Amino acid sequence: MSGDGHSAKHTGPIPAAAGIGLRFPHHEQVLQQQPAVAWFEVHAENYFGGGSVRRVLEQVRRDYPLSLHGVGLSLGSAEELDREHLRRIGELAHGIEPGLVSEHLSWSVVGGHYLADLLPLPMTDEALDVVCRHVEQTQAALKRRILIENPSTYLQFRHSTIPEWEFITAVAQRTGCGILCDVNNIYVSASNHGWDPQAYLDALPAAAVGEIHLAGHAVRTLDDGSVVRIDDHGARVAAEVWALYRQALRRFGATPTLIEWDTDIPAFDVLLDEAAQASALLRGVAPGHHACAA
Amino acid sequence: MPALLELQQALRAQLLGEAPPPDEESALRLAIYRNTCLSTLVNALRLSFPAVQRLVGAEFFDASARAFIRRQPPASAWLNDYGGGFAGFLSGFVPAATLPYLADVARLEWTVNRALHAEDASGLDLARLALLAESARARVSFTAHPGLSLLRLEFPADAIWRAVLDQDAAAMAAIDLASGPVHLLIERDASGVQVRRLNVARWQFTARLCAGEPLYAALDDRADADISAWLAEHLSSGRFIAFDLRAPPTGATRE
Repeated sequence: MSGDGHSAKHTGPIPAAAGIGLRFPHHEQVLQQQPAVAWFEVHAENYFGGGSVRRVLEQVRRDYPLSLHGVGLSLGSAEELDREHLRRIGELAHGIEPGLVSEHLSWSVVGGHYLADLLPLPMTDEALDVVCRHVEQTQAALKRRILIENPSTYLQFRHSTIPEWEFITAVAQRTGCGILCDVNNIYVSASNHGWDPQAYLDALPAAAVGEIHLAGHAVRTLDDGSVVRIDDHGARVAAEVWALYRQALRRFGATPTLIEWDTDIPAFDVLLDEAAQASALLRGVAPGHHACAA
Repeated sequence: MPALLELQQALRAQLLGEAPPPDEESALRLAIYRNTCLSTLVNALRLSFPAVQRLVGAEFFDASARAFIRRQPPASAWLNDYGGGFAGFLSGFVPAATLPYLADVARLEWTVNRALHAEDASGLDLARLALLAESARARVSFTAHPGLSLLRLEFPADAIWRAVLDQDAAAMAAIDLASGPVHLLIERDASGVQVRRLNVARWQFTARLCAGEPLYAALDDRADADISAWLAEHLSSGRFIAFDLRAPPTGATRE
């Protein structure tokens, strides 16, 4: 994107093209070189507060469409949402006017303590009520629709009664939120739990899917001999995940697609290369229903 | 079937090592979550306390951070705001007792971290301040910029902090740990976070202003030329973001 269209502030939606998750090691390079990236996404919590980091985000926002991805709101907590946390997300969203705001189908907070991971929920009616209540509260506070991302999980609870794909579909139907379909997470969880990833994709309501995430994962053998796939965002997207992504595009149409990398963050060119692969697959796919004007 | 809250409390106990996992298979899978949780939090502390880590080494830092995390898990998902209790923890952490200045370095690093991430705020309206009648000026009290802090530390932690981060062995060797307390002003300006050593009079005056005392009280009997120049510097560098008028002092005024 050499020059044109990059001078004015982008107020439009996130395009149905390949974006990149922006992390601190690439701030300088992105500001100075303005690389050809269709859009960026950042973790909201990294930009709470003021100072130079916030200036960087404002500058990026002037040059690119921007999506805000929360990792700490803990929509699945049995207790009340942290109002101060929600206020900070609202303040940030008000300031930078992101094209999309998203969070996770998971929990991280109990007893007022943040456990710093996206922890798995039991798939029960009680958890469904909790998540729906918190999604509604968030959408009311932010005065906009949000997207909810399917998690990657390493364990399941014996008392779960609802398949995950039905659970997230029910959240979307009951609250009107959209779905952030993380194709790598579907692959990881399906491998770990013996689900059919294609059936998971087929079960999602296509009209609700507003964004796709792609990332790399690790394969580890536990001491008991079982093989677990771990969503570490520390490698290139796996071939099997690219294949599943093709299926996702066939089902959802062209959808904003993000490349994420959080562990051993490589040179920015590697992320550009991953984004180019997603772009190649996006080209020629008919537009999706994605509700990007959320 | 456990209610959601019970399940989340049980998982918390297992992640923080307060309770054993229910069975071996769960233990292996819970360990994946525990590793992510602890390494994320240790890393957050590492980013906020780089000089403490250099002073004690990565392994010792990791162990002390894990002990702190179990004692005081974060109260919010804003991890730049996590670690306010770390200096106090280190001051009572027996394995660190051979480094008596370590907690002071941690106090300084925490304050630097807070300045770095403080909310943005503009300096107060100097024109409005100038419009005040001469007789009202002594009654002005200020609101400090959220990135401004004052620290009084028993050890020369500012010198240690700089020498450690610059890896300056000569500067480190020149530090006299018995040189007495240091009075510091920490703030964020356009070029980053600044740590300055103040003389006691300037530090006390500024501390009283930051605590919201009106000028007449903060000036006390020190209304000398140096303090006036210092007040002017506070105002021109935007260290105060708002002002208010307090009631006049009871009894004789100092105006």
